[in-house]
Amino acid sequence: MDNKQSDHDDVNLKGTLVSVFIVGIIIVAMWVAVYMMYVAR
Amino acid sequence: MIAYSDRKIALWHIGVAYTAFLIGTLMGVLQVFVRNDSLELPAWLDYYQVLTAHGVLLALIYTTFFIFAFFITGMSKSLGSFGPKVRLFSWIGLWVTLLGTVIATVLIIIGEASVLYTFYAPMQANGFYYVGLALVIVGTWISSFALVGHYLGWRRRNKGQLSPLFAFMTITTIVMWIIACLGVVATVLFQYIPWAFGWTDTINVELSRSLFWYFGHPLVYFWLLPAYIAWYTIVPKLLGVKVFSDSLARLAFVLFILFSIPVGFHHQLTEPGISNFWKFLQVVLTFMVIVPSLMTAFSMFATFEIAGRKKGGTGLFGWFKKLPWKDVRFTSIFIAMVFFIPGGAGGIINASFQLNEVVHNTLWIVGHFHITVGTPVAMTFMGLTFWLIPYLTGRRFTKRMQILGFIQIITWSIGMLLMSTAQHVLGLLGAPRRTAYSGYNDHPAAMEWFEGIVSNHLTMAIGGTILFLSAMILMYIVIMTMFVSPKAETPEQMVEFPLAESDMSNTPKWLENWWIWIGIAAVLIIVAYAIPISQMIQHAPPGSKGFITW
Repeated sequence: MDNKQSDHDDVNLKGTLVSVFIVGIIIVAMWVAVYMMYVAR
Repeated sequence: MIAYSDRKIALWHIGVAYTAFLIGTLMGVLQVFVRNDSLELPAWLDYYQVLTAHGVLLALIYTTFFIFAFFITGMSKSLGSFGPKVRLFSWIGLWVTLLGTVIATVLIIIGEASVLYTFYAPMQANGFYYVGLALVIVGTWISSFALVGHYLGWRRRNKGQLSPLFAFMTITTIVMWIIACLGVVATVLFQYIPWAFGWTDTINVELSRSLFWYFGHPLVYFWLLPAYIAWYTIVPKLLGVKVFSDSLARLAFVLFILFSIPVGFHHQLTEPGISNFWKFLQVVLTFMVIVPSLMTAFSMFATFEIAGRKKGGTGLFGWFKKLPWKDVRFTSIFIAMVFFIPGGAGGIINASFQLNEVVHNTLWIVGHFHITVGTPVAMTFMGLTFWLIPYLTGRRFTKRMQILGFIQIITWSIGMLLMSTAQHVLGLLGAPRRTAYSGYNDHPAAMEWFEGIVSNHLTMAIGGTILFLSAMILMYIVIMTMFVSPKAETPEQMVEFPLAESDMSNTPKWLENWWIWIGIAAVLIIVAYAIPISQMIQHAPPGSKGFITW
């Protein structure tokens, strides 16, 4: 287990972190847009 | 290369898949022209016939046959050549599925089954249409059990070992498929067939729809999981790295067994026969299925970043430029993934109970499944086709074919972007699905829907036409790589099966204990379905006679 963890610890995954946040923002933005339409109707 | 006899089974599956693809896409382009009012169908051909053929042949038949071609090749590659029994049952599975396909297709063509691919009662098709559909399911079960037999043989010979990732994921998909099919088998055998042949007068509509969607939602994952298999096991090899995390990949897949099935009510949120509590419970379970999809998204980004940095990419996004964009096998799958971001987000909206009321019976849903099964799944299959056929036929994937491959995926992307955006916007404005075009007697509210720059029939028709041209380029590539391209003579010309290495040394063994996952799945299904289904039977409304609406 330690071996595996250190394998991943050595890797720089900052771009991955930002990328998944971007995906999250797209999901939330689309959801909120349709929610606003639902409320408006 | 895998054994010749295994390759032959896989190639037959691909042959059937692309025959269905050819007819299905032709039906698609006819629809957009009819909706655009620029084509009038001949008297013997009805819009709903075309719509049914499009849905059945692309969403059910193309996908199923292609998936089994991929599974058969991958299982033979990762677990060794099939034995005589596995081979025999794979052939029987193919022929039974094909027989069912032919029966169902003929009945659609002769106008006896224009019931759309969801075949909702009380629309009633010819009884043999349902027999054809049942044979399709039975055929896939025979093929599935052949692959399970191959897997069990490997487990017996390799006691205590985890199976290779490809095999594990294939079996996960098959387990989910077999559990899911129980619903559709029950409704077709015990409701539709007796009703369609006149042995019973009426049908319990709500029960039939619920049993259909018990199957219908995991059907979506039956399409998607093979694409995920490619994302997890093929893409890292194309990037020159290992699978990011074997444990994460396996955990994501078993979560699909648990959460892809007890969620069918989210397709029935507008139906009156199910109480809000059960709908809400299944909405919650639907949201659980987002977890493995987001795990997959994380895993893919991590794979890209590790590969890009290994090739010298620096900074926050420098790795992105280092990805192998000139490799059509990768670029096709990457575009497929990008389409899945809005596709998945749309899925969350669809399943969000109240928000479903905004989109439910609208063209939004049509747009949604064109950017889920129609692109993330289909374009992943296209990306696999580019190397799978040459790998199986021993032919070259020439430079010319690679360029055509790029043209094909780019045109598919543009066509789909135009068509599905139009469908999404039109749906939000209120344009209905499942219906042929109607002007609603030129009612101003309906006319307004189609006046936008994006939201008009012309945009949909242009998108649909580009898609059809793209499909024809793909058919050309399929025919060339199957029958015409020069044979590979040197090792450099040979096309490989790009299967990534996956480090299993830290993967917990319990992830491959099927009793745990099938047991939890059974409990969740019972919790989510037992009471509402029993209520539908005990307090059934008067049944409905059949209607032929076309």
